[in-house]
Amino acid sequence: MPRQFAYYPGCVAEFSSKELNATTKALAPLLDIELLPMPQATCCGAGDVAQAKPNLYLTLNVRILSEAESMGVDILTICNVCTLNLRRANKMVKEDSRVLEAVNEELVKAGARPYQGTIEVTHLLWFLATEEGLSLLEARGPRGLNGLKVAPYYGCQLLRPSSVMGFEDPDRPQSLERLITALGGEVSDYEGKTRCCGFPIILAREEVALKESHVALAGARDAGAQVMVTPCPLCHLAMDAYQRKTEQLMGEEYAMPVLHLPQLIGLALGLPTKTMEFKRHLVPVDEVLSIVGA
Amino acid sequence: MPATTFRIFRYQPDSGEAESYHQDFQLEHGEKTTLLDAILRIQNEQDGTVAVRYSCRSAICGSCACKANGKTVLACMMQVEHVKTDSGQEVVQVDPIGNFTPIKDLVVDMTPFWDKFKAVKPFLIPDGPAPEKERLVPKAAMEKIAKESKCILCAACYSECNSLAADPEFVGPAAFAWGYRFAADERDGQRKNRAKLYSGEHGVWDCTRCMFCNERCPKGVDPRDAIEKLGSIAFQEKVTSDKGARHAKAFLISLRTGGKLNEILIAPYTDPIGAPFNAPLALRMAQKGKLPKSPLTHRVKDRDQVKNLIKNVKETI
Repeated sequence: MPRQFAYYPGCVAEFSSKELNATTKALAPLLDIELLPMPQATCCGAGDVAQAKPNLYLTLNVRILSEAESMGVDILTICNVCTLNLRRANKMVKEDSRVLEAVNEELVKAGARPYQGTIEVTHLLWFLATEEGLSLLEARGPRGLNGLKVAPYYGCQLLRPSSVMGFEDPDRPQSLERLITALGGEVSDYEGKTRCCGFPIILAREEVALKESHVALAGARDAGAQVMVTPCPLCHLAMDAYQRKTEQLMGEEYAMPVLHLPQLIGLALGLPTKTMEFKRHLVPVDEVLSIVGA
Repeated sequence: MPATTFRIFRYQPDSGEAESYHQDFQLEHGEKTTLLDAILRIQNEQDGTVAVRYSCRSAICGSCACKANGKTVLACMMQVEHVKTDSGQEVVQVDPIGNFTPIKDLVVDMTPFWDKFKAVKPFLIPDGPAPEKERLVPKAAMEKIAKESKCILCAACYSECNSLAADPEFVGPAAFAWGYRFAADERDGQRKNRAKLYSGEHGVWDCTRCMFCNERCPKGVDPRDAIEKLGSIAFQEKVTSDKGARHAKAFLISLRTGGKLNEILIAPYTDPIGAPFNAPLALRMAQKGKLPKSPLTHRVKDRDQVKNLIKNVKETI
């Protein structure tokens, strides 16, 4: 019996980063996971709605939690920002019954289902970096990454604030490293792996954002990485789609291919490269594919 | 009794040392000795020239923030042994807080911090004539600003702020925590003016949400949350012309019309003037299939519920 999750890919993985969604769906059966769709689920608001209308943010996110509750399963995410927004809303209503009551009153008034507070939200990375997840990977007999030098890039919102996220030490995270090593890759360690990619403000403050992503890109390059891997599609857009702009602004060259986490796992498990839609990346990944023999 | 090597950042330009370096000091100390006590013992017993800013030694004055093995802490609030176990390192490296210019050893130039603090007008500006007696405030109204009132201006939140590292003019977390503390104070009469003051080029929409401030604050102020609440005040006061506010509006429009993010709308709506200059990137993304073909393809089930929520839910800050 596969482990079932209510699957919340988030807007970016469904649209501009479809390759992430496609790879995750292709990977799931190999890992004995069943991803159940959430047809009612809206956007989480990405921190923007929280900064404009915090009560609305909370209610919308609890509505998403409530849909999963009606399905009787926990939520699985593949985006840092969605994970933070959903977990934060969950924490707010679970810790204060008055807040839950007020939110439920609004939900019922709007014709939505009230929430009882029984759901957990986890990210694919967290699920896989546990003993259970690692043994699922090992059971697939990964053909490996052939010593590929991989720079783990966490970004911010899967780590901080740790009071909401809490999976691992936000300053010395090891989940990506554990996966890279287990899959036969070599970790390229660098300081910028827990810093911000700048994506939340990339449309409103492009130069500030690109200077932020520079720190991680330059760090990964200087550590000798052949590829960077990230658990977040927003980080991916900042690092991959905007990489040339960052190079132009900073007068640097990174030439750093960036993989979504499921793509790295897919490479190690031998998923067909066509399925993982690498052609949608702006920075070519050809060299990575040739190193791992894909 | 534990013994520890302290690797302390040294910089003494007044003594003709133009370059900074790290100097090791060995110290035997108690199990519960704080980092500040250890530094002060080194200063007293080994090298009187080690410079550190401190005063109360009890996490009230906010003077002794520094980095211990890379992580910003209040030196008086952190035990040496805790730094070692937390970082998994036997050597304790002590550096000045980040995003500031060191003046001497662990002492940094705080001038930009105080300038930004003053710029948010961190004091009550009531409307109308003063009352005959005091202004009474209900407890619930003070609870709304209780967290932010705990800020001790130690600048730990600035030390690892990623927006500040990229934009030194960013007003920053602590100043905005104070800004919110007064903007949301019901005795204050400048709510709308404050919303305008805080929404400028280096203002609340400059925050990249790296969450380092919430993570590092030793007093639980959660400055990022205060910045968020200032955004909400800006929306309530209809101060929404900044590109950051327009970005948030694009999310609200997306939610109302389809329920999910409308990626065709978001860039031109956020920055109608600048978006055409991003045409080369948009074209490259479109060639890779990264821009959706239609804005109408992604609609969630039971959208009426979402519309009702958007219409009904009231903001209370």
